[in-house]
Amino acid sequence: MNFLVTIQTGLREIGSHKFRSALSMLGIILGVSSLIATMALTRGIEEGTRTFMQQMGGLELVRVLDKEPSAEMFDFAVLSPGRTIRDAHAIQASAPLISHVSPELVLKTSVSREDGGDPERRSVTGVTPGHFVIGMQSLAAGRFLTDLDVSRGSRCVVIGSTVARELWPGVSAEELIGRRLRIHGSPFEVVGVLEHYEREEDRLARASGRRIPGRRWDPFRMKNQAVLIPFDTMFHEFLSGMFPEDSMQTMKLDALTVRVGDLSRFPAALEQVRAVLYSMHRGVDDFDLETREDWFDRVESSVRAARLSGGLISAISLVVGAIGIMNIMLASISERVREIGIRLAVGARPADIFLQILVESVLVSAIGGFLGIGASFGLVEVLKTISPTENVPIITAGGMLFSVAFALVAGLLSGIYPAMKASRLDPIIALRYE
Amino acid sequence: MSLISLEGVTKIYRVGDQEIRALDGIDLRIDEGEFVAVIGPSGSGKSTLMHLLGCLDTPTSGKMEICGHELSRAGVNELARMRNREIGFVFQSFNLLPRLDVLANIELPLIYSGLSYGERKRRAQAAAEEVGLADRLANRPSQLSGGQCQRVAIARALVNGPRIIFGDEPTGNLDSSTGAKILGIFEELNAAGKTVILVTHDPAIAARTRRIIEIHDGRILRESRP
Repeated sequence: MNFLVTIQTGLREIGSHKFRSALSMLGIILGVSSLIATMALTRGIEEGTRTFMQQMGGLELVRVLDKEPSAEMFDFAVLSPGRTIRDAHAIQASAPLISHVSPELVLKTSVSREDGGDPERRSVTGVTPGHFVIGMQSLAAGRFLTDLDVSRGSRCVVIGSTVARELWPGVSAEELIGRRLRIHGSPFEVVGVLEHYEREEDRLARASGRRIPGRRWDPFRMKNQAVLIPFDTMFHEFLSGMFPEDSMQTMKLDALTVRVGDLSRFPAALEQVRAVLYSMHRGVDDFDLETREDWFDRVESSVRAARLSGGLISAISLVVGAIGIMNIMLASISERVREIGIRLAVGARPADIFLQILVESVLVSAIGGFLGIGASFGLVEVLKTISPTENVPIITAGGMLFSVAFALVAGLLSGIYPAMKASRLDPIIALRYE
Repeated sequence: MSLISLEGVTKIYRVGDQEIRALDGIDLRIDEGEFVAVIGPSGSGKSTLMHLLGCLDTPTSGKMEICGHELSRAGVNELARMRNREIGFVFQSFNLLPRLDVLANIELPLIYSGLSYGERKRRAQAAAEEVGLADRLANRPSQLSGGQCQRVAIARALVNGPRIIFGDEPTGNLDSSTGAKILGIFEELNAAGKTVILVTHDPAIAARTRRIIEIHDGRILRESRP
């Protein structure tokens, strides 16, 4: 039998029972649209988290932390010079899998405009250019600190957006370049202003004019509050005076962060760092490496869990939809016993009847599936208006294809039993059926 | 070589524990071009005989050969093929599909022959013209009179060029004058070379055929040629 005629016959059959067909499609429509919406939502969360992770330095970021040496190494702990700039240099020189190293010195001290204003105690950080790469910083205006700034110990500063706003309210980032700050009494020239970092939901809340009740933890506060000066400037200008017995080589770092160049060789890179640090620390295990893998894994597994549970609920409604289709198909064939008998009498094979019923069932689910795609856009719009602070749902072609494929399979499976029943009809009995 | 040949054909239906011998050792030969009536009271087995001859069923035992095909052990697909190519049915209650128009109803067997769209339409049109329905092609069966419906059914039976036409009480639902006209069509078909087999309980109709086979209790009671 001609397949096109089968489809045409199926469409006519569906069309002749519009209301009934629509009702049986409803389950599929709901299932498909909620499946697409679920995937769009989790995709949105995933995307939001990924952007957030990027802004936070990504998976490549590894922190070198201080740690109490273990009991057996305790007696030798004094041998270790601790976490110093030499570690940073050694990692840079001997760990080829590490692309960037960022040693930091932090000083809490007064910061004010040079032309006056109340000095405020801020956290000032001495950094090397690697800091900007590792922190995935971007500029609103000006430039980052350079190697030359570091080696010459120049008095220049890159400030975060919040600092800029608090010191010079209402002045644009471009205009700030070249203005002067006074840090711990010394004048510094602003050479760069960092972009304002905020989470996607905060940005949306700001854009829509809504207030988020109850200030939550802002992971970007530190970045926006940054006052960054060259590493060497920090040492020579402030710290060498405060701790005269320390040289720059022996000064303990406040933070040491490295960036793995190639994520696919992450464990090997960690091993290199560890080896370098052991030799620098004379075998004392007074350091630890903190990766973000655990954290990322946790986030990812919660996204996965959300997708799974949402998907499961949608899948259940698809299954219910499929049962609805099966019900309708069973009703339909018991109504059409005589028609099937006639078709058999004029030469339809049981396989033709089987295909006919199956095609009808798949058509119902296919139409339902495509209507479901339409409904999913509406559903996502509704979700967006209900919660603008959430991550923007992203409807993907993959999600649509998956959902419709799922619906088609559901339609196919739900059609098999009715189709089998129809194709097994005895033509004699079917013809006599009233 | 007969067109239809039955040898010792028996058909047994099982209803629970009971065995019902619907047909009991039928021997029958029908040659191409014959005009045959099968008569008998209800329950005589004439319907069962027609179902066998019409390839809707297979015998329990015995040999059945139709159009040169041995069908006593035929599978469903072979039977379907026979019904499609070699046999045309005309039923008492017309058995048209109510949602299809006349042309589509006539075309129905051709769909299962796997013909192309153009060929199907051409042949269906020709069959409709043959029974005088060329002007009602777009009508639904519900818009037609009984006689017209039966003409559609005949056109459908003819459309695939079968060698055998079955009529199962083809005039049973029609008034006598319309019935006579329909019977006239069967006579014309027979004159054109088709083998026509009518199943009826009306002796007047049987009398217009050329061979009457009387069935009683699953056996051929007598044969006569009017």
